[in-house]
Formats: sequence, C-alpha cells, structure tokens
Amino acid sequence: MRVQLNARNRAYQFEAEPGARMLYSGLAAGINLPYECGSGTCGTCKARLVEGEVDDRWPGATGRKYLKQPGEFLMCQCVPVGDCSVEVAGFVYNMDPGACIPEFRAGTIRNPRPLTRDVMSFSVELESPADFDAGQFVAMQVPGVPGYRGYSMVNFERSATSLEFVIKKKPGGGASEWLFGAGADGKAVELFGPLGAATFYPNLGKNILCIAGGSGIAGMMSILSRARQERYFDQFNGHVFFGVRTFRDGFYLAELAELAGEFPDRVRVTIALSDEPVPGEARTAYPSLAFEHGLVHEIAGKAMEGKYQNVRAYLAGPPPAVDASIRMLLLQAKLPTDHIRYDKFS
Amino acid sequence: MDKRFVCPRQSVPANGMVQCETAEGLKLLVANSGDNYFAYQAMCPHQEVPLCEGMYDGSVLTCHQHLWQWDIRTGAAMGLAEAPLESFPVEVEGDSLYVVSQSALSVSELFAGISGDTLSAISSLVQKEEREAGSICYDFGDPADDFYVLESGRVEFLIGRDERVSPAGFMLRKGEVFGWAPLVENHPRRIARATCLEQSKLLRIDGRKTLALLAADPASGFIVMRRLASLIARYLAPSGSK
Repeated sequence: MRVQLNARNRAYQFEAEPGARMLYSGLAAGINLPYECGSGTCGTCKARLVEGEVDDRWPGATGRKYLKQPGEFLMCQCVPVGDCSVEVAGFVYNMDPGACIPEFRAGTIRNPRPLTRDVMSFSVELESPADFDAGQFVAMQVPGVPGYRGYSMVNFERSATSLEFVIKKKPGGGASEWLFGAGADGKAVELFGPLGAATFYPNLGKNILCIAGGSGIAGMMSILSRARQERYFDQFNGHVFFGVRTFRDGFYLAELAELAGEFPDRVRVTIALSDEPVPGEARTAYPSLAFEHGLVHEIAGKAMEGKYQNVRAYLAGPPPAVDASIRMLLLQAKLPTDHIRYDKFS
Repeated sequence: MDKRFVCPRQSVPANGMVQCETAEGLKLLVANSGDNYFAYQAMCPHQEVPLCEGMYDGSVLTCHQHLWQWDIRTGAAMGLAEAPLESFPVEVEGDSLYVVSQSALSVSELFAGISGDTLSAISSLVQKEEREAGSICYDFGDPADDFYVLESGRVEFLIGRDERVSPAGFMLRKGEVFGWAPLVENHPRRIARATCLEQSKLLRIDGRKTLALLAADPASGFIVMRRLASLIARYLAPSGSK
C-alpha cells in the first residue's frame, strides 16, 4: 500500500506494511514524520486524511483529544486500508544521515524483577542487534493490550542484543499489569524503535542537567551510561536530580552512587524525596549521593541557581513533573528552549 | 478590517495575558508588557493549542506544548518556533482596547524589518486578487513576472513534468510568500502550478519593480534577500542544530 504524504514543504511517498501504523511505516522509510510519544498520548503525529481510508486501532488513545477538524487522525494509531493520501500541517524532512532508523523488531521478555514496591525492571532480548541513541525509547506491544506503550532504554551500547527497561505499576494499566504478572518472562513482544529526540551525543560540549521523576530515570541512565563510557565527565559536569516519593521508592541508587563516587568533582546526584523527610539511613547507605526532601523540580531549581551556563537539560517522568520542570527552567532559570530536551507523553 | 473592541484594559493582568473574543468572533491573545498592549492570534500556529495556556514572563511568550516562543513586542518567532504569530496592532482609548488588522504585506516574514518607505513603496505595487477554490494562480511554463503574498485561504503547489507531477507543499498562513521566481535570477518561467484550494485572497506584486525598489535601498534589499534565501532553504532541510 502506498501512502502519499503532503507536508508543508514537499510530498513523500512510502510503502505501508500491511497492518502497520502509518507513523511507523513512514519513520521506517527514513522520513522524519512529526511525533513525540509514538504511542497515542501526545497528539503530535496528527494528520488529515485527504483520500483513502485508515483503520484506527486504538480509538481510546488519549491523544485523540488533540483532533479537532474532520478527517484528522493520529498516524501512530491508524493503519492504512489500501492506498491513501494524507496531509500534515508542518515541514517534514528526511532523517539526518547517521540517525538510527527505527524498525519493527521481535524480542523476548527476560528477567523481570522488582526494584521497589511498584517499579520493576525487565529486559527484551532481541532477535537481531539494534542501534539506538542514549535517551531514546521504543514502542512496545504486549499481548492483549491495544496500542503500543513507550519505554525508554536504560542501557547504552552499540549493536545491543538486549534492551533494558523499567516500568511503574499502574493499577488498571493493561501493559504494566501484564508485565508485572507472573507469565511475562519468556513471552514474545513486538517493538518498534528506536524513537525519541531527547538524545545525548558526546559531541554536545555542554554540562548536562537531568531532572527525572520515577521511571523517567530510565533514559537518564542511558545518557549517563554513554557519557561515562565516553569519559564525558572528564570535561563536563553532570547534575542529576531524581525524584521519588520515599527513600524506599528509590532505585538505581547504587549505580548513581557509583557514578557520583567516580567523578566527585564533576557529577552530583541528588535524590529528591517528595513524601518524607530524608531518613538518616539514606546518607549512611549512599554517602556519595545527596538527599533532599521536596519536589524534584523545586530541589533542582534551588540547587542549580547560578549554574545554568552552558547547560543542556534532559527531562523525563510523569507529565505533571515534566511540565513543572519546564516552567522552572523557562521562567526561573531563563534557559533557552533549545537547551531543553524531553519527549512529551501527554 | 475596521477597528474592533477587544476588552477593557483592566481585564489584562499586568505583565500577563488573557484570551479575548471580539463581538465578530475573532479570538485573540491579549498581553500586557509595561505600558504596552499586544494582541495576537489566540491559537499556537503549530498545533492549535490556546496560547493563553502557555507561559509569559512579560517579554517572551512560550506555548507549553512544544515550547515554541515569540517576542511579545513583535510576534517574531524565537528559539524553536517555526512560525511568527499574526499580530493585531492594539489601540488604547481610555479604558478600552481595540485592534485593527494589518495587511498581509506588513506581517510577511519576507519584509519584516525593512524600512517603512520601501515597504510602502512595495505596497503601492500590490494588486489584490480574490480567487475561487480551484483557480490556478500560475501554471508550468508561465512567465514568472509577479510574486504573491497570501492574505487568506490556501494555495497548493505541484511540480514535475507530464505524468510525473507531484505535490510540492502548500501555503496557509497570512503573509506567506510564494511564486518568488521573479526575485531570483534566471528563473523566467514557472516550474510549478499554484492552485487555490479554497477561496483565497492574494496580493500580487511585480517582481521586477520590487527588485528595483530593493536595489535603491540596499539595507532593506539585503534583509529581504537573506530572508528569501532562508525561505528557500527551509524547503530543503531543517534549520538549526540538534
């Protein structure tokens, strides 16, 4: 099936695989279609159907609230039924040379294990090695749940044969309940990726500021992992702020403590506890980490005062926490918008 | 458009913003900055999100959705923004704020910042055209004498030859410039077909006479040619560093 996509600047044609979401077919063809979450929440991949027919595979997607005009649909949720012609209101270009072109991948769930009372980690073993950039995510489809969900890679390596993820348990969240369930280990899943523009490259030449809430730390771990592998912190600073509710809700603290311990003058990691004063055991257990009581964006705002020279910020976590961090960085810190990177999931 | 009442002055918070609707149904974002008031289109040009839900610090307006930003004094795009805001000059009379509309020429990015004299000289070249849906502004091989500024409506382009004709984008924002071949050397004929997709209002301007005006005012000419170069480049590749 051919999709003809008219953008503001030019037209593209690509082949849509039967049953595949239009967004994924276009991205797999190396066309940098507009998207952020790739999984039905943000509305960024909105397009208008000019000719032909599409089948909406997840009419319950929350991103549909951004559809306003007749004929509009989310490319990440709709599958072309035969040839069609669509229009997007923005400028569209081909992907940069060197970009990791996303594709469909088959994988197997491995080693799901709890990290805290409601966060777990798991790996997906890939059938063939994949490249991705630090900070990227994949869209994953699990059996019996409509639509894909976005999960950021925790690890970073080239030609990765295993991708590592964290997931927070959400009551009633179909995908998270399935992954938390007993039967997930060894099950086949389908991935599409890598996706996402909140990426880190070692030629950035800036200090990095990571503000993450909960499972949003995943992509930061990948960024920090790449930075460490490339000895980035020999030259630049890393400011990491990780918000969780209580000390017991913290995870990856040992890994973060090791990083902070390795670069005591360059990397500072602060764990913000929103729901409790810092217990004495926290500092004893992780002397190289800082702990504060408060909301992560407020803690970061206070600690970063006067330190915004040459900074690139990465944000991730629950949408309200990301929004609060954006407001803080724009209004209080006056950081230019192009120095702030995040992928919108709401 | 005549002068339209927008809102009482006190309904705009100091260094804040508010969304208003005129009696005619025109939705506007009205902002205050010190002693000045500014009015812009109410919706973000990117994804139709109300700008009043965004962030405003008294000088820079930010849409909270994708952090597009604009200079509140001019509506000019800043940072990540790929389009300026359509501005409506505000007149203050007593405690009331009124807006008047601007011509597409003066909101056009191509001419922003050029001298007032040259802009009004170019304005005097303008022929206004109203076209029905389906009407062709120019076709393949037509002589390229005039360029166009979109006032309202929507214009779509086709390029190619014979059966190998394909869409080449579209224009939908007030002030967008198309058919700029007469402003560039060695482009005497049209290489595209421009069709109005809906009823459209266009400003049609003699290219050769415009070039003569710009040659007589090289400072303005430099601005326009630089903008034209970036406009053309924008059709080829994304701008800015990643």
